[in-house]
Amino acid sequence: MREISIGAQFENGGEVGVFAKLMHSYCLVALGGSANFYSTFESELGDVIPIVHITIGGTRIVGRLTAGNRYGLLVPASTTDQELQHIRNALPDSVAIQRVEQRLSVFGNVIACNDYVALVHPDTDHETEIIADVLKVQVFRQTVADNVLVGSYCVITNQGNLVQPKTSFQAQDELSSLFQVPLVAGSVNRGSDVLGAGLVANDWCAFTGYETTATEISVIEATFKLEGQEPTAIVQEMRDALIDNMA
Amino acid sequence: MSARSIKAIAPVPTAADFLDIVLSKTQRKTPTVIHKNFKISRIRNFYMRKVKFTQDSFDEKLGAILTEFPILDNLHPFLSSLLNVLYDKNHYKLALGQLNTARHLIDQVAKDYVRLLKFGDSLYRCKQLKRAALGRMATIMRRQKDPLAYLEQVRQHISRLPAIDPNTRTLLICGYPNVGKSSFMNKVTRADVDVQPYAFTTKSLFVGHLDYKYLRWQVIDTPGVLDHPLEDMNTIEMQSITALAHLRSCVLYFMDLSEQCGYTVEAQCKLFHSIKPLFANKPTILVINKIDVTRLEDLSPENRALVDEIITKEDVKVVQASCYTEEGVMDVKHTACDALLAHRVENKLKGSKINTVLNRIHVAQPKARDDIVREPFIPDIVKRRKKYDKTDPDRRKLERDIEAEEGGAGVYNLNIKKNYLLEEPAWKDDIIPEIMDGHNIADFIDPDIVEKLEALEREEEKLEAEGFYDSEEEIVDSEEERYEAETQLAQEQKKRSQQRRKVMLPRTAGLRTLSEMSERLTAAGYDPSRIQARAEILAKAQGAKRKRAEDMDVEMAEGEWVDENGDDAMDVDEGQSSKRGKTNGGSVVAKRHPATNRQLAGMRNSEQALKAVKLRNLGQRERNRLAKAGESDRAIKTKMPKHLFAGKRKAGKTDRR
Repeated sequence: MREISIGAQFENGGEVGVFAKLMHSYCLVALGGSANFYSTFESELGDVIPIVHITIGGTRIVGRLTAGNRYGLLVPASTTDQELQHIRNALPDSVAIQRVEQRLSVFGNVIACNDYVALVHPDTDHETEIIADVLKVQVFRQTVADNVLVGSYCVITNQGNLVQPKTSFQAQDELSSLFQVPLVAGSVNRGSDVLGAGLVANDWCAFTGYETTATEISVIEATFKLEGQEPTAIVQEMRDALIDNMA
Repeated sequence: MSARSIKAIAPVPTAADFLDIVLSKTQRKTPTVIHKNFKISRIRNFYMRKVKFTQDSFDEKLGAILTEFPILDNLHPFLSSLLNVLYDKNHYKLALGQLNTARHLIDQVAKDYVRLLKFGDSLYRCKQLKRAALGRMATIMRRQKDPLAYLEQVRQHISRLPAIDPNTRTLLICGYPNVGKSSFMNKVTRADVDVQPYAFTTKSLFVGHLDYKYLRWQVIDTPGVLDHPLEDMNTIEMQSITALAHLRSCVLYFMDLSEQCGYTVEAQCKLFHSIKPLFANKPTILVINKIDVTRLEDLSPENRALVDEIITKEDVKVVQASCYTEEGVMDVKHTACDALLAHRVENKLKGSKINTVLNRIHVAQPKARDDIVREPFIPDIVKRRKKYDKTDPDRRKLERDIEAEEGGAGVYNLNIKKNYLLEEPAWKDDIIPEIMDGHNIADFIDPDIVEKLEALEREEEKLEAEGFYDSEEEIVDSEEERYEAETQLAQEQKKRSQQRRKVMLPRTAGLRTLSEMSERLTAAGYDPSRIQARAEILAKAQGAKRKRAEDMDVEMAEGEWVDENGDDAMDVDEGQSSKRGKTNGGSVVAKRHPATNRQLAGMRNSEQALKAVKLRNLGQRERNRLAKAGESDRAIKTKMPKHLFAGKRKAGKTDRR
């Protein structure tokens, strides 16, 4: 299997996850960024899934404002009719698009999901059924290491889950059982704990900020089973390198 | 070293330059015009300022040198002793000490002469005092020629030292001269150290880096060491010893069994034994180099015994390698890195900092919750896809390539519609207006419109097939009849358009009251009592109905809010509202409701909204009770703003000032 994990840069910052969203059946990229940023995704994903330039309510922080998976996409109420039409035209019909009116409207931060399970901010109002219907997932209200912004502090695919570095053992086990995927605590962009901002990933590739160190990339690869790595490598062959690097 | 622990030092001028700099600065930055007829206090001040200024300049420049040069005792032990070896600690301290003394002397001179200047009684005398003061300062400075020259040399040397980080993962290569240390360095790193077939080619420490196990490793190549007492060692050898003594590293002791280096195996073993105290607490690797010539197995029994003694007695690992054939070079690298890593990890596990990162070296495995299979989703095309390669001539044309071709960033305008997935590619560039006839197009999009149309058409066909329309079918049989039908149609259309253009009367224009009507009826000779009774009943019923409708509206508003969130947001407003508005055309149209009830925005439910209203009213109660003016009451703070009424009014200033 061929898998990739590379660095990307948006206007000299490593906040890939803010300006892009990567799913198994589509990829959203902010309109108004450089062609280079778009082409980074294009070179790895072109021909595989549609890569779409979008804005949400006129802003470029599309990665933070939207949540979705292979089956669906949730956009906040601030999305204009034109933007919604554009997204609809550019995405395959198999993807359901739903504009959701909700108080916690930054879906990228308050929802963390893969194709089967979604974690939502504990204060989300009675909208969880919509999430369950559109994304075809089981929904849980949960926090990640006491952070309510689950989408910012964890990145999840069908193969693995990376959570913020201060998550305790107990919380890790709980979350892993909720998601039903192996889970690892790690960081991106040279120690940043807002993983959602620095990393986008799906089952066969991941993009992370340019600042991300070799050790962090190796953890990401192992967690998401990219480049033929397995999560168990973290406790086996990579363990010493990690201890030496972090302690 | 220089980059991280020793900051860059500004160049140190020679004594002559130093003087020129300071004196010309005094000339530039202090007043130059004085006259003997000036008041004496002014003359004194003029010269005192010059003396003080000169002293300040000296002070500042010397102070900068003194602070910039590192204090050896504050540095990492390795750096401190390396600088000691290279520049001689005593000499270094002496030079800095001399400059410090010079600074004090200059201060003293300035103080003395400023005091004398206070008693200067003429311009001439003051000037002489100033000259004397500056002259003495210059003499002091001129005596610092040697320390300044020495410090400049040290500065230049420090700036060229390799950037050795004393705390990172380090492999330290040592051994006799000419045993292949630098060759190995060149093989595993990109340092490109000079390699020559004579002893002491490497005269100072060199640093290179390699990547292994996701980590960066520092490799330090040291000059060769000869086996003699520490006191006899020269500066070049002492650098090796310093590195060995102070860096927590993995030591690679290189041996050349072929004796091509010009030293016997016996001598090399002896050197190992004499410097082995320096290897204490460090993972040590004995590297047998040049195995393309002589291997450990080919050794004569006496020599073999010497080497075996090291191998068995000391805690060392043996690896054989040849930098010439590259056999075993990677072996050496891996063995050394693994040994060092294991050693460092062992130490770190003993520390307390490890507890903060333990949770990151853990893979939480899920406990099965149910037996749903959660497969990863990887499209087949991913497996078949060729990896993007920048050098491949038939590579995919990326957006950035297109941009470059079309004139670069800022010129090229991206067409975001070009990748639309539509049934007909020709639809991609269709222009759809946002607003049409005052309506938002998006509000009227019905996802099922095509289906509904088809259903209608099917029904029509069915009806037609069943002969539903047969009986009413009009058969136009003559020209005359057709002409008649056409004119009728035209007239109807005309009528309709006229109606549309009719001048409109207000809704109340034609209304009559009940009393008016009954008066007229009575006048005309009819009895209005039945009509009156019926009108009253109707009016009562209408009143009751209206009241009910109002109650229902409130309920609807609450219900709708929940409903509409669950609904597809792009749905048409189809709610048959109980309230109906009337347009100017007189036709009754459904009143458009806002999509949401804004009174409930940001509230979880109606109870919360009610509570908010209650709280608001409660907050206003006291103010209302005292009949105080609120924010929303009209208030004129200043009746006559001063700026509008004061002063003379010139042309065009009556309304604004």
